Amino acid sequence: MEVLKEKVEEEAAATEQAEVAERGEKLLRPLDARREEAPMTQEMLRDLEKKLSEIEIVVPEQPLTFTKDSIDISKLPLSYQSNTLKEEHLLQVADNFSRQYSHLCPDRVPLFLHPLNECEVPKFVSTTIRPTLMPYPELYNWDSCAQFVSDFLSMVPLPDPLKPPSHLYSSTTVLKHQKGNCFDFSTLLCSMLIGAGYDAYCINGYGSQDLCHMDLTRDVCPLTMKHKEMVREEEKVPSKKYAIKPPRDLSSRFEQEQEMKKQEEMKGQEEKQRREEEARLLEVEKAKIDPLHGLRVHSWVVVLSGKREVPESFFIDPFTARSYSTQDDHFLGIESLWNHKNYWINMQDCWNGCKDLIFDLGDPVRWEYLLLGTDKSHLSLTEEEDDGMNDDDDVENLGKEDEDKSFDMPPSWVEQIEISPEAFETRCPSGKKVIQYKRAKLEKWAPYLNSNGLVCRLTTYEDLECTKTLEIKEWYQNREDMLELKHINKSTGLNIDYFKPGHPQALRAHSYVSMQPEMDRVMEFYETARVDGLVKREETPSSMTEHYRGRSDFLSYRHVDFGPRVKKLSLNSAESNPRPMVKITERFSRNPKKPADEDVAERAFLIQEERIQLRYHCRDDHITASKREFLRRTEVDSKGNKIIMTPDMCISFEVEPMEHTKKLLYQYEAMMKLRNEEKLSRHQAWESELEVLEILKLQEEEDDAHTLAISIYDTKRNEKSKEYREAMERVMHEEHLRQVEAQLDYLAPFLAQLPPGNKLTRWQAMCIKDECLSDFKQRLIDKANLIQACFEKETQELQKKQQWYQENQVTLTAEDEDWYLSYCSQAMFRIRILEQRLNRHKELAPLKYLALEEKLHKDPRLVEFLKVFV
Amino acid sequence: MHRLYNSLEPRVMDEDMLKLAVGEQGPREEAGQLARQEGILFKDVLSLRLDFQRHGGGFVGSCTSAAWIPQCVGIKLYPNLRLEPAKAPAPIVSDILRIDSLWEFENLTKLQLDNNIIEKIEGLEQLVHLVWLDLSFNNIEAIEGLDTLVNLEDLSLFNNRISKIDSLDALVKLQVLSLGNNQIGNMMNIIYLRRFKDLRTLSLSGNPIAESEDYKMFVCAYLPDLVYLDFHRIDDHMKEMAESKHQYSIDELKHRENLIQSRLEDEQAQQEELEKHKAAFVEHLNGSFLFDSMYTEDVEGNKLAYLPGVSELLQAYKDKFVIICLNIFEYGLKQQEKRKLELDTFNECVQEAIQENQEQGKHRIAKFEEKHLLSLNAIRDESELTNFEMKIVEYGKDIMELFNVLMTLEMQLVEQLEETINMFERNIIDLVALFIENVQSLMAQCRDLENHHHEKLLEISINTLEKILKGDVDEDLPDDLRPLFVDKDTIFNAVGASHDIHLLKIDNREDELVTRANSWCTHLVDTIHKNEIMRNRRRVKEINQYIDHMQNELDSLECSDVID
Repeated sequence: MEVLKEKVEEEAAATEQAEVAERGEKLLRPLDARREEAPMTQEMLRDLEKKLSEIEIVVPEQPLTFTKDSIDISKLPLSYQSNTLKEEHLLQVADNFSRQYSHLCPDRVPLFLHPLNECEVPKFVSTTIRPTLMPYPELYNWDSCAQFVSDFLSMVPLPDPLKPPSHLYSSTTVLKHQKGNCFDFSTLLCSMLIGAGYDAYCINGYGSQDLCHMDLTRDVCPLTMKHKEMVREEEKVPSKKYAIKPPRDLSSRFEQEQEMKKQEEMKGQEEKQRREEEARLLEVEKAKIDPLHGLRVHSWVVVLSGKREVPESFFIDPFTARSYSTQDDHFLGIESLWNHKNYWINMQDCWNGCKDLIFDLGDPVRWEYLLLGTDKSHLSLTEEEDDGMNDDDDVENLGKEDEDKSFDMPPSWVEQIEISPEAFETRCPSGKKVIQYKRAKLEKWAPYLNSNGLVCRLTTYEDLECTKTLEIKEWYQNREDMLELKHINKSTGLNIDYFKPGHPQALRAHSYVSMQPEMDRVMEFYETARVDGLVKREETPSSMTEHYRGRSDFLSYRHVDFGPRVKKLSLNSAESNPRPMVKITERFSRNPKKPADEDVAERAFLIQEERIQLRYHCRDDHITASKREFLRRTEVDSKGNKIIMTPDMCISFEVEPMEHTKKLLYQYEAMMKLRNEEKLSRHQAWESELEVLEILKLQEEEDDAHTLAISIYDTKRNEKSKEYREAMERVMHEEHLRQVEAQLDYLAPFLAQLPPGNKLTRWQAMCIKDECLSDFKQRLIDKANLIQACFEKETQELQKKQQWYQENQVTLTAEDEDWYLSYCSQAMFRIRILEQRLNRHKELAPLKYLALEEKLHKDPRLVEFLKVFV
Repeated sequence: MHRLYNSLEPRVMDEDMLKLAVGEQGPREEAGQLARQEGILFKDVLSLRLDFQRHGGGFVGSCTSAAWIPQCVGIKLYPNLRLEPAKAPAPIVSDILRIDSLWEFENLTKLQLDNNIIEKIEGLEQLVHLVWLDLSFNNIEAIEGLDTLVNLEDLSLFNNRISKIDSLDALVKLQVLSLGNNQIGNMMNIIYLRRFKDLRTLSLSGNPIAESEDYKMFVCAYLPDLVYLDFHRIDDHMKEMAESKHQYSIDELKHRENLIQSRLEDEQAQQEELEKHKAAFVEHLNGSFLFDSMYTEDVEGNKLAYLPGVSELLQAYKDKFVIICLNIFEYGLKQQEKRKLELDTFNECVQEAIQENQEQGKHRIAKFEEKHLLSLNAIRDESELTNFEMKIVEYGKDIMELFNVLMTLEMQLVEQLEETINMFERNIIDLVALFIENVQSLMAQCRDLENHHHEKLLEISINTLEKILKGDVDEDLPDDLRPLFVDKDTIFNAVGASHDIHLLKIDNREDELVTRANSWCTHLVDTIHKNEIMRNRRRVKEINQYIDHMQNELDSLECSDVID
């Protein structure tokens, strides 16, 4: 405690010197407040001014504060409504500590130790933290955890921005109502982080106005920030020993220098202009000075390095889920911090915000702890630890000896924190959240909330007032066409849609201005999912370019030029009137199996000129490539024969002239083949056009239809599987019923005859058994008789028919005869079956009888009587 | 055998016959007209059929002897063109007895010579591109003459008189082998087929071995990669059975094959090692080889080794000598590495320079061609004569400019390369000289050792001689040594001779090393110069050719204009 004392002395000296030891003046004050060493009058004026401004600001409307009436206290568990003995003890200890603290540091604000909970019971802040590991893997890391907390709860400002709240509700209540102040936020976040294994602490301190009001309008939206391109250090290849010397440079160095100078001047001017512009912008953006700067109470979370491989301590603002370094300007001071095990008071000076704070909680000079004995001896030097021991002696001298040294924090009084999967998925209160950033607006929705699958929309604006839209980005989920992101640039009118793998045509991205066909557009594809290996298709009103990759025919590029549509006079529809192709250019990559002179690099079909141009690949050690051009002429020679092939129909340049290529036969064959391929290429180009139409149609349909894909694992939304499951359940139920029915009680009719409620006597049992058996016997006989009767009836009838047949045999028509014969055979069949059944019945009847007898013997209701009898 | 060749005239294949065969088919219709117009060269033919077939049903009854008609169909021309095979058979009425005149068909990939009376496989040496060879239904007795056909994949020798499978070693790509209806009687012939790793189809039915009960099992077991045997697919069950049945013998066989394989590999590795040492000019210096060679031809030296005290001396001498040899060896390898590195860097740099230059050239040409297309069109469309001429002149200028640019680039590259090559030449010569110098100094150490040893030996010899002269002779002196110790001159001569031989050996080794190193160096430098000159000439030729072509095109334009 010596340290504490020293600190106080120091403080006293400081305050004496500065003569600003006013009551209510905080120890932790920002720099400007302290430096002011103005005369008394001015100081007082300032104070007055401040107080006046306080009055103005303290009366904000509080539309969101939730009153106690909305909480049903009676339903809360007992631990919420009362304190255990240990907790009482802890509160006493805390009170004692608080008294000593206020005695020793009279100029500091009272500690935030045991606010009231929702049941008006004081609870120590550390016990309000309930470390919980959430069952969702998404919540295992700090960033997603913080994002969840900030999404899930809506923010309520503190009732008094200059004081910590009087109440601190349990996290369960907060989660139920989905709103809370910064202390509620950080308590919940801290519980989750500690549960996930982080070394996290709640902080009671002072923050900037933006921080306390969750005002992001002066922050750049993290989504709009461009990823900084990794500036790849171009490795200077050390010039090799035998590298050739560059040819002598004959240009004037003086001129170059002059040019350089001129350019630098220009650049300098531009730079200056830009800087001015920036300064002006900054001026506009700068917030007006907050009169309560440094006094606004805020609570946030600090994650210390060490656990979960956190390399460096950092702050998390629970409102915005953003992480800050511990040196950030927004954080202006720390009063105290706590986790579920202990409570520490900051003894360091916060004149420079949190920039100079050292988060070594084992250092008693910097951090005064509440409970002894819990871990946290970060201080590395053993000597100092000895000092710490001495300090403890001083503590005893100061009357702290009654404190139980082995006293540790009682378990949390808060129920386990639970988040239902529905709530987890819905996230934001009622599934929607809007955040305003600087020149940007971010809207979030729960999945499946919007029928078109929209989950997030980011609108960026040109100006600070957010009136002129610059661009809109929309993120989608669960779309059947796998649309993931729609990027609309308002200034250029360009739309870019991005798709996830799984589009029917393997579309990856589609940028367009209008959805009309034959307009400017670029489509990119997942080429591995396509049979034709198409990577990209670009279209302009008069051309189409396709890029391919990984094809077995090495085609890598196709460009089609279209001519103006020929107007047809007939009344054909537009579909059957495609644009005429003027030129098709195809490029091929090198086929390593062919020699370069036979491997075509580029071929162009000039369709209307009937000309085909070929360019071959260049050999490795050459700079010129072979070329060939075919002209088609269907002419007739002087004798009227058709000219098949003449040397001037094929103009070729060969790097190394070969013998066989000069032959007309070779050229003829090559030309025939090329003409076939021209047809193929035209067909493929036509098919590509069709595909574009199909994609556009699909997109249109998808925009209209709004059906969202539902995972087969999603049991709640998947209607089909739900129906199936319910049907299965129904079937099971019916099956069960039938089984119950099947187990008929053969004794029931006989037992029913007896007076109800009475116990069976042996005589009665005997009677029942005999009756049952005789009844069964009767039934068996009846059944046999019935079959017998049927049998006889059939036989008689057959005999009658036979008689009739014999009498009328002569006059019968063929049809009648057929009918008779078929009747006979059927009747015989029936008779035979009846006979069989009768025989079978005769065989089985005694067995059945015996079986029933045995069953009756074993019947639980009769067994005791019959057993004795037997 | 109801072959009726008795009544036919056996013939030797000759050019007329081949011409007829080739001319009969090939391309048809329009292409055929062209082909006839130009004629077909034998070397363009890819596939040829010279077999005999029974011709048309109507002939069978009446003419017996003429019923076998040879047919030559399916001539395929040019790799990328497909022609219709001929429908009509050629009316050649004879049987081929001898293969001949086929050397011109150098690009042939498919040859059918079935149903002839060929007795010997010959005259196929030139047809190295052959993939498909059919010699079935002939009278061949032995497999031979196939050693050059390394690309052969399908070989049919069905229905011949072959009794032994061999001489197929060169056919590493063999996939289908048909040897049915022959006289193969020894099961061991199958083991020979194990060397063909790609063999999938085999037919051996109709051979004496095929009658054996175990035949199928045996083949399946010894040729596990086989898929079809005698035109039937081998099922997995069969394979398993065969494998289990012949497991022991196969394992043994495999073991033996593996042993041979590993021995071969070892030898190869050793050979490679030796090559490496040779490249460093220090082969056999990593041991006592040189020392031993000094004593192999040295009769006196060997004799003198039996003198008391000499063996110890010799041992010490050998140890020291071997250490020096090892030094030379290691130094040589290190220098070799250095030279290699130098050469690699040089090659890399030169390659880079050439590549870059080529890229520049290509770029220029591409740019020119773009422009050229435009201007050609413009010239074609131009109607006014003055404009036309102006444009032609402009175009001609462009061509000249391109030529100048390309040539300048090439000359620049030549200059740059020359400089680099000279630098490399200096460096490599220096390196080799340094190497030689150091090796020579090490060799001098060897010589010193030898001199030292010689002196010691002489001393011992003289001592011994004195002892002998004095009479107190050592009893254990070998008999063949005694004649040396007659007088001082004899012993001097003997020791001297031994010394001379040793020095000679050392000198020889040194000379060899130096000569080879120097010649390697000169050769290398020469090759580099020559290559560079060749490259330069090729490029200049290429440029000229291209420019000529462009100029021709321009000229033809002018001409056409004049005609118009």
